[in-house]
Amino acid sequence: MLGRGYVTFRSARGSGWRLMGEALSPYRSVVILGSLFAATWTAAKVAVPSIVRVIIDRGIVPGDSGALALGAAVLIGAGVAQAVSTGLRRYLAFKVSLRVEADLRARLFAHVQRLHFGFHDRTQTGELMSRANTDLQQIQFFLVFIPITLANLLTVASVAVVLLLTNVRLALLALAALPFLNLGAAWFSRQLHPVVLALQERLAGVASVVEETVAGIRVVKGFGAEGLQQRQLDAAAEAVYRESMAAARLRAAFLPFLDLLPTLGLVAIVWLGGHEVLAGRLSVGELVQFNAYVLMLIWPLRMVGMLVAQTARSAASAARVAEILETEPAVTDPSDPLALPDGGGPSGQERGMGAVRFEAVAFSYGSGGAAVLDGFDLDVAPGEAVALVGPTGCGKTTVARLLPRFYDVTGGRVLLDGVDVRRLALADLRRAVGLVFEDTFLFSDTVAANIAFAHPGAARETIQRAAELAGAAEFIEELPNGYDTQLGERGFSLSGGQRQRLAIARAILADPRVLILDDATSSVDPTKEHEIRGALAEVMAGRTTIVIAHRPATIALADHVVLLDHGRVVDVGTHAELVARSARYREVLAEAERRDEAERSLAAADEDRVGAGS
Amino acid sequence: MRGVGRGTGQIVDAVEEALSPEEARRVIRRTFRMLRPYRGRVALAAALLVVQTVAVLAGPAFLRYGIDHGIARRDLGAIDRAGLAFLITVLVGFVVSRAVIRTVARVGESFLRDLRGRVFRHLTTLSLDFYDREKAGVVVSRMTSDIDALQELVQQGLVLFVVNGLLFVGAVVVLMAMSPVLALITLAAVPPVVLVSRWFRRESNQAYLDLRDRIGDTLSSLQEGLSGVRVVQAFAQERGQISRFRSASDAQYAAHLHTISLQARFFPAIEFAGVAASVVVLVAGGLMVRSDAVTVGTVAAFVLYLNNLFEPINQLSQLFSTVQAAAAALHKLYGLLDERPVVAERPGAYDLAPGGDLTVDGVTFGYGGAPVLHDVSVEVRSGERVALVGPTGAGKSTLAKLMARLYDPDAGAVRFGTTALPDATLASLRERIVVVPQEGFLFNGTIRDNVAVGRPDASDAEIVAALERLGLADRFQSLPEGLETEVRERGSRLSAGERQLVSLARAALADPAVLVLDEATSNLDPGTELAVEAAMAELMRGRTVVVIAHRLSTARRADRVVVVDEGRVVEEGTHAELMARQGSYAALYASWSQEPGAATADP
Ligand SMILES: Nc1ncnc2c1ncn2[C@@H]1O[C@H](COP(=O)(O)OP(=O)(O)OP(=O)(O)O)[C@@H](O)[C@H]1O
Ligand SMILES: Nc1ncnc2c1ncn2[C@@H]1O[C@H](COP(=O)(O)OP(=O)(O)OP(=O)(O)O)[C@@H](O)[C@H]1O
Ligand SMILES: [Mg+2]
Ligand SMILES: [Mg+2]
Repeated sequence: MLGRGYVTFRSARGSGWRLMGEALSPYRSVVILGSLFAATWTAAKVAVPSIVRVIIDRGIVPGDSGALALGAAVLIGAGVAQAVSTGLRRYLAFKVSLRVEADLRARLFAHVQRLHFGFHDRTQTGELMSRANTDLQQIQFFLVFIPITLANLLTVASVAVVLLLTNVRLALLALAALPFLNLGAAWFSRQLHPVVLALQERLAGVASVVEETVAGIRVVKGFGAEGLQQRQLDAAAEAVYRESMAAARLRAAFLPFLDLLPTLGLVAIVWLGGHEVLAGRLSVGELVQFNAYVLMLIWPLRMVGMLVAQTARSAASAARVAEILETEPAVTDPSDPLALPDGGGPSGQERGMGAVRFEAVAFSYGSGGAAVLDGFDLDVAPGEAVALVGPTGCGKTTVARLLPRFYDVTGGRVLLDGVDVRRLALADLRRAVGLVFEDTFLFSDTVAANIAFAHPGAARETIQRAAELAGAAEFIEELPNGYDTQLGERGFSLSGGQRQRLAIARAILADPRVLILDDATSSVDPTKEHEIRGALAEVMAGRTTIVIAHRPATIALADHVVLLDHGRVVDVGTHAELVARSARYREVLAEAERRDEAERSLAAADEDRVGAGS
Repeated sequence: MRGVGRGTGQIVDAVEEALSPEEARRVIRRTFRMLRPYRGRVALAAALLVVQTVAVLAGPAFLRYGIDHGIARRDLGAIDRAGLAFLITVLVGFVVSRAVIRTVARVGESFLRDLRGRVFRHLTTLSLDFYDREKAGVVVSRMTSDIDALQELVQQGLVLFVVNGLLFVGAVVVLMAMSPVLALITLAAVPPVVLVSRWFRRESNQAYLDLRDRIGDTLSSLQEGLSGVRVVQAFAQERGQISRFRSASDAQYAAHLHTISLQARFFPAIEFAGVAASVVVLVAGGLMVRSDAVTVGTVAAFVLYLNNLFEPINQLSQLFSTVQAAAAALHKLYGLLDERPVVAERPGAYDLAPGGDLTVDGVTFGYGGAPVLHDVSVEVRSGERVALVGPTGAGKSTLAKLMARLYDPDAGAVRFGTTALPDATLASLRERIVVVPQEGFLFNGTIRDNVAVGRPDASDAEIVAALERLGLADRFQSLPEGLETEVRERGSRLSAGERQLVSLARAALADPAVLVLDEATSNLDPGTELAVEAAMAELMRGRTVVVIAHRLSTARRADRVVVVDEGRVVEEGTHAELMARQGSYAALYASWSQEPGAATADP
């Protein structure tokens, strides 16, 4: 499972920072420009009172209309500069931070799309959604702070310099506390980091419960499990509350200090400064000016505090994003891929391509897991059709997944047309192997786009042909907009059998060298299946096909049958041969029961007919 | 195009283009209503904030006292008094501000927590028609991103409002006291500020609503890209998916940047209004000084003090923008909360009797479009085992869903015993009638957790017993972690057949009066299927069972078979009767039981 435990705090902060720096670097110049505008804004804002003073002294007091007008014009100019720079600062800061957010979001998605099946088996969709949303947003919040923070630090530094130049003793008094701030900030950040990391995890927890509930709503409703899900959500929301409050308590412990330190400086000025004035070491004007400058520290310091809080949270979020981006795909293109032997057409049928060979394949899901396949051998000649038969959980689907390298074998090798699949470019390999998954997934797109998934530009005739071969054309034409009908999410606006036939059409249109049908007609009625079988024979002619099925009639499509049990091939032969000689085969297909039933039902029907006739 | 640019569904489409002022007021009223349970704490927080603000404002007063009474009169005692009083005030302010942070956080976070719970509770009451048209990603974005968007308001809003409101009022009072005339002249700044704010409200309403939609699109595209990732990789279509996602993500970026560009015009305009007001006061003041209407000192003090008026206005304009952003999110959330479940309890609903016949009486039903079921009547007697068979797309699953009242029929009625389902409480209905849908689903969690979905209060022993009676205990207990095995996302740790077995165990544990199994064994090998079906029949003896299956061996074992075709019941009877009738069931059975070999020879 991702998250806690995997991200250790120290490494987490490091990787988070690296990621933010790296993502920001293309936009360095915009950040600098934004900071300049922020500085301009600060300068203009600070200048306004001085300009006002000049207007009063030179314009109003002597009653000089010219000077008044000039002063007013300058003041308006300063106002414009202030307005323009604040607007531009804001715009630029957000533009950069939002751009970085969007870049990272696209990068995250692209990365995840290429991550191996094993990663997706483990990782919750809601968890990933949360990282691509909430966590990236936290990064954005931090980045947008940068220009204004730079400007604020500038303010603090210049105020400190001015104070020191005015009166060293008083300045030291007023600023004495500032170094402690640094220590305080470091403490705060250290304390906050684990809390906000946990908070981000809890938020992902909420997203996961919601996502799963929506995705599984049919089961939730079917079993009346709303209460169960509600309890999970309430627990997740409560966990968010707890972590948020823990973070708030830390903020309450630290942030008031940021106000306290400069105001203590003010107290020192009033109190000790008063004594200084009376002792004649300071003028009243200086005292007032000191006061004004120290006041100028309050807001920037407050901002620094907010920034420290935000930084801790953003670093935690960035670490969560980096964790995904740093997950290496376990299945990758080889450094120097071999080309598949040329088969003439794309499907390779013309030159008799599509030889599949499993050699002593061993496989287990995840290191240390039990072996699912062990010493598995299979040899399928080009153009041949093989049926894989075996009990539930024996590893049929696993075999189907190894050929297109959804997982890599742990021992032995898999060959396609004599080439180890690990030596082929993934895109080439996967184009050569077409698969109908046992659980159908369709996209919320049009029917046509779903069928043409492998070749998005496919002509309408090609799509219709594929649909016909899959026995789907008839129902598609009855849909309100035919091939242009928009499907609901996951294709759930179709019946189970309709979905499955679209998935078959999708694989047919891909026109692969090797076609794998993994229990692809389990939701199709016998009559329709019979019809599809006829069409499939056409698709399978000359094409290597691996059929995983439980129905004798479908199994009969294959030239021979491989009986799989406990991850090994236990027998090979034609259906009839296996029925005759393998007790295990008969057991798996419930052959005895089937025959028995067929006989009994025919007998019963005869009796009935006799009964009805008499 | 997928995901991008298309309307995101009903909730979104139902929303009018922008929030009208009345609509906005309604959103605000509702929010206040939702805040009512916290009003004590809100009042406390506000009171603390007032103390804190006063403490901050008191600073200059002590300075003045120190100067006037101490320095001017050379009185060290007065300076010490001022210094001490200031110190105490500062420390009080310090202590209070800690309490403020905590109190405000508690109010805000409990509000968000309760809102999460409340929206989710509402989501679970919505019926399937809602989920048919709404994308999972959009629903997730309501529960995450939209609620997060309120965070800023609940965390900062109260503070900004109270503090700056006080500062503003204080500044107005001081300015009025200094010079009512100049204060009135300052009012010249009000109309432009109002106009600009109205412009901003109008534009940003739309922009923020648009942003919420775009976020929903991005999350939908993301969610679909993730759930379909195996298909995408199998067909090597990563590139297409990535560019599709990128365009959704870029649309979100553009929408967000648009809201910023509005702010980048609004905030400077407000700031500029402040400076412009100073200019007006200076010029007018200058002229008035000449006519001796005011003193130079007054003008000077007045202008310097104006800053104290405009600073809170700047801050309040930020708050205004935050409120607009939050209003868009709230509007979306209220849109969701206003969505009425179509399948709802009638007033005066009562609990279903523990047993009875399940009657489908003249039911016609369509998913919004053309009817899928036409005047279907089926009677399932208590304790009977009925099989629904028929061609794909005939309407079997639809009928199953109506039997469990996942949808309501357009015409006709479904009854359990003598009670029409809409008259029954949903809780008792879900307890009596359970449907295992064709689209099985395992939750992230252990095998035990997944079985327990059928009855969350079941003990471990009961769970093991249910598995044992189905003959599945050994299969799962032999896994390295036994029943504690994590099935992982969507049950990916298990094979397709194993997932179905878990779903069956879930149903067995739920042990309802009526169990509807929609192709619940379609991925099992026939041997396992036979064994599990026999065990299930044993377990469910005396219970009513409706099975949908394409493997007619299952139908054969049922007491009665109902054949559905094109949304109508076309045949009904025992297996033997239907075989004798030589109708569509017999034809279906013929293709099913065909010996291999005969299959290819047949056409
Ligand atoms: N992603 C996975 N991670 C870990 N174990 C897995 C995973 N997928 C399958 N398994 C295990 O590997 C074994 C073989 O699974 P596989 O899906 O290949 O079976 P199958 O023969 O296709 O079964 P079925 O007929 O039920 O589809 C099963 O015991 C299953 O629990
Ligand atoms: N959610 C939905 N929205 C719109 N139309 C739907 C929806 N679900 C099913 N349909 C349509 O209703 C018809 C009946 O579907 P249903 O799922 O009841 O068939 P079925 O008999 O169960 O078929 P199968 O054996 O393939 O599962 C089909 O034409 C299907 O396209
Ligand atoms: Mg399988
Ligand atoms: Mg169905």
